[in-house]
Amino acid sequence: MSDIDAMKAQLDEIRQQALDAFAAAEDSDALQALKVKYLGKKGELTGVLKGVGGLSVEDRPRIGQVVNRIKAELEQAIEASSSVLEAKAGEARVAAERIDVSLPGRNRPRGALHPVQQGLDEMAAIFEHLGFEIAEGPEIETEFHNFDALNIPPEHPARAMHDTFFLRDTEDDEPMLLRTHTSPVQIRAMQRFVAEGHEPPLAVVAPGRVYRCDSDVTHSPMFHQVEVFKVDRDVSMAHLKGVLQYFLSAYFEKEVPIRLRPHYFPFTEPSAEVDIGCVFCSGKGCRICKGSGWLEVLGSGMIHPNVLRSVDIDTSIYSGFAFGLGVERLVMLKHGIPDLRLFFENDVRFLRRMGA
Amino acid sequence: MKIPYSWLKDYVALESDAADVAADMVRLGHEVEGIEQPRQGVLGVRVGHILSKVSHPDADKLSLLKVDIGEAEPLGIVCGASNMDVGDKVPVATIGTTLPNGLTIKQGKIRGETSFGMCCSEMELGLAEEASGLLILSADAPVGAEMGEYLGLEKAVFDLSITPNRGDCMNVRGLARDLAADANLPLAAHDSKAVPAEAGVGTPAVAIEAQDDCPLYLGRRIEGVRVADAPAWIASRLIAAGQRPVNGIVDVLNYIMLDMGQPMHAFDADTLKGAVTIRSANDGEKFDALDGREVTLAAGDLAVSDEAGVIALAGIMGSMPSGVTGTTSNILLEAAFFRPARVSLTRRRLAMVSEASMRFERGIDPAMVEAAMQRATRMIVELFGGQAGEIKVCGDAAYGQAGRTLECSMGKLESRLGVTISESVDDVLRRMGFALTREGDALHVGIPSFRHDVSIPEDMSEEYARIIGFDAIPAALPPLAASRPAKADRAVHTAVAAGFVQVVGYAFIAPNEQRLFTAPDDNDIVLANPISEDMAVMRRSMWPGLLKIARHNLNRQQPGVALVEQGRTYCKSADGHSEDNAIAWLLTGEMQRDAWHGAAREADFFDLKGAVEGWLQAQGLSGRFLAEEIPGLQAGQSAKILVGRAAVGLIGRVDAGIAAGFDIVRPVFVAVIDLDALPAGKRQKFVALPEFPGVERDLVFLFDKDVVAEEIVQTVTKVGGNLLTEARIFDRYAGKGVPEGKVSLGIRFSLQDGKRTLTQEDSDTASRAIVKAMDSRFGATLRA
Repeated sequence: MSDIDAMKAQLDEIRQQALDAFAAAEDSDALQALKVKYLGKKGELTGVLKGVGGLSVEDRPRIGQVVNRIKAELEQAIEASSSVLEAKAGEARVAAERIDVSLPGRNRPRGALHPVQQGLDEMAAIFEHLGFEIAEGPEIETEFHNFDALNIPPEHPARAMHDTFFLRDTEDDEPMLLRTHTSPVQIRAMQRFVAEGHEPPLAVVAPGRVYRCDSDVTHSPMFHQVEVFKVDRDVSMAHLKGVLQYFLSAYFEKEVPIRLRPHYFPFTEPSAEVDIGCVFCSGKGCRICKGSGWLEVLGSGMIHPNVLRSVDIDTSIYSGFAFGLGVERLVMLKHGIPDLRLFFENDVRFLRRMGA
Repeated sequence: MKIPYSWLKDYVALESDAADVAADMVRLGHEVEGIEQPRQGVLGVRVGHILSKVSHPDADKLSLLKVDIGEAEPLGIVCGASNMDVGDKVPVATIGTTLPNGLTIKQGKIRGETSFGMCCSEMELGLAEEASGLLILSADAPVGAEMGEYLGLEKAVFDLSITPNRGDCMNVRGLARDLAADANLPLAAHDSKAVPAEAGVGTPAVAIEAQDDCPLYLGRRIEGVRVADAPAWIASRLIAAGQRPVNGIVDVLNYIMLDMGQPMHAFDADTLKGAVTIRSANDGEKFDALDGREVTLAAGDLAVSDEAGVIALAGIMGSMPSGVTGTTSNILLEAAFFRPARVSLTRRRLAMVSEASMRFERGIDPAMVEAAMQRATRMIVELFGGQAGEIKVCGDAAYGQAGRTLECSMGKLESRLGVTISESVDDVLRRMGFALTREGDALHVGIPSFRHDVSIPEDMSEEYARIIGFDAIPAALPPLAASRPAKADRAVHTAVAAGFVQVVGYAFIAPNEQRLFTAPDDNDIVLANPISEDMAVMRRSMWPGLLKIARHNLNRQQPGVALVEQGRTYCKSADGHSEDNAIAWLLTGEMQRDAWHGAAREADFFDLKGAVEGWLQAQGLSGRFLAEEIPGLQAGQSAKILVGRAAVGLIGRVDAGIAAGFDIVRPVFVAVIDLDALPAGKRQKFVALPEFPGVERDLVFLFDKDVVAEEIVQTVTKVGGNLLTEARIFDRYAGKGVPEGKVSLGIRFSLQDGKRTLTQEDSDTASRAIVKAMDSRFGATLRA
């Protein structure tokens, strides 16, 4: 056997060994080591080339070609093995990192807005949409703002219908009380408006806490009201009905029929109690509406001229409507909350459920 | 007020169902709270005749009765009462009857004997509040008759809530007038034919001193009456109307009040000393009221008095000694008009309510005073004998009857209602007593004497509205003006977004709770008439309320609570009082529950501090927390919160003793921010994002244990050079490897230059400056 043949055979053997070894390599580190072993500067292929000096001049390039071909083949083989190993390693990592996606997530407990707050927010948004401005007033009030200016003089029988909390000896000049309704904000807003030199129109929504000296299953000594009023030229009862209809349907998120019944409030004339078609039975009659198909929701009317006069608004030019609604009452109806006391017990299970 | 339907029919020939009449009343503005059906309530109870009575073989206290109820066979009834005998007529509830108390009668065996019904007492029929035995009926009661019919129980009784402006409808005839006018039916006249005076009966000596408060007073003597019970038809109407029969005279007067609206009073004339005067009471004068109370009068109260003292508080109540009793024979009848405001003020001050005062303070019909006197005289004389004398008229006999008038513009009325009013509506109002004439746009109104609530044109708009009905008024949105929406108050929403649950606490708390976080001074606002002692003072801190709510929830197995409340606190101030807007937090218990990824963690100071910092940040503000001892909070775990120089709040751990007082054993943290003291937040201006990378470096030092972290950060910020953008404590360690009295703190600072990439030299310069400053300012050494 000539030298070149012997060398070729040796190269073939190395090639075969290398290919087998590459295929058997278990990871990329091993593969890397094999690459050095066979193809490195001091690798086996290079080792074979060291014997090339004993070959004839014609044979040398031939062997060179063979070596280059094998080198290329081996490099390709390493590349192929490397991809296979990388894919395998990737699969192994994914398998190792498999998780139980049904385990609970890491969450902070949610907070919750009190249902009364939600009601106030929703109501304010509806009235702002209609062009009403928000006003607030003090909870500790004078008899003038809470009663007299609202056409309820001291001897008026309606004064007895308000179970009023009075304050003991404050530094104030006159007896003070906790407001029994948000209507005094009507007076204060109009006083301020007139004092600033404005002329109607004036449209205000006034939310807030109110107090009645009364506590049982259906009465809380503290609750929330929203007072709504508008003063302008030619304001009529029809406008009152329109705003009520718009507001109640918007708040209950469905068309609710409304019914006005003549009633008596000292600060409005005419006065009307407002009923809505029962939201539980759609007016068919149920336990909650006591079979009537109607639910009383608020009191309303055209502002009494004495009230406008008490804040120096010219009743020969201007008229207005006003209504006051109990926030808890409407929230109870909207969400089917059966008991007023839940609002003030502040059980977080209730608040979280309603606060969604 | 209760009004039997049958009584209304005395005045107006209504034929509709009670439910329809009620609907009409509601439409006219008279709220109907319910319709009672007393007769329906005892349907199935019949008049029975006891044929035989033997003792129950196995029970001493029971009897076996045979009772004839008009059927072919008598009923066998087992009865536990003992007041009946053979031959008595008794009410028998037959099988299937449901009694007013809810009991349904079934055939049943009692100690082995079958009972086919139940004999009833007055209580079981709902006619009395108590009874000691069966109701024994009169011997002529028709056997088998329905009890409801036999007793004349009402078919329907309206329970009305008459509004305070409509005193004229607080009687049967007034309400009938509204209904008759509405239905276009005639209204029957009441009987008020004069009873002529008998010679020999004296005219009472009566005089009015307080003319303003008592413009008209009528007195009349009736002598020789024999007081007896009122006849059944009067008594049963009074009972149906919710009143209790007293004696014949009083019952007649109550009947007239319910029927015509004129409250009257009868004195036992023989108890009176000398002439009667209607005068203003003397301050401190005593009065023995008919309800058993001794009350002290004030100057201004209107008193009816004789020469010995006050015999009646005008329009409210008579005196005990001057009242009519079963032995009275001579009476003085009173019918008067008392000024409504006078009656209202007195009865409110004395907290006295009577059927009479309710009518007087709403205003009675002055035209009815004499009519009522005549009718009462007639009824008393016919029922109880006696002879009536001359009526003594004091004051203005024609008072209030001239009729007030009013001028309206139809156009204005219509524009107020938003609807046109046809002339046909006028007829309804005319039937209600108004005199109306239209003349172009002008409407001339003659107001009837009983309508004290009508005085201005707007009042007529209400009259028209209730006649045409609110349903006839269209709904129209007013022209909408745009308004500038207020900047929404998001204070509580921000806290909720951070995981807190919003609560609403009462504004009033107990006085001892007030003292937990507020030192005693004179600035508490105290309620004069609290619901209870627990709700007697206006809160100056929201924390007691939050602690109560926390207790409520921890007692219900909540592992922890995070609460927030926005509201007001209240305090006396130099110029009266102040109401301050605040937001308050409470945090206690587990911040995080045991979970697969970590163990449970109890809330601590820094959980709440972080929440408050985050909240301030959302307002565009940043706060500083300065250690401070605060009443009610644990020393060393409390701080005041500053924004700029303004003290805006407090934070800390609730004193363990105070928490224990609310049954809370775990650490509780609270905070409050005074929203009124909070400066306006800065609106963020745009800053270009950095184009070049910044660097972060960590330095760890050994500090003395008492070092204040905030001061370290301030120092680093000061000396770190103008490239320093942020510095913060990122690590804290004390323990193994750290000498006693020392603490290891890691400081991380960031450098950034908007114009170039930073070099190693930049961060080395900053580090050197910081290391030097930590040494010179705090004696801190860099850890290897």
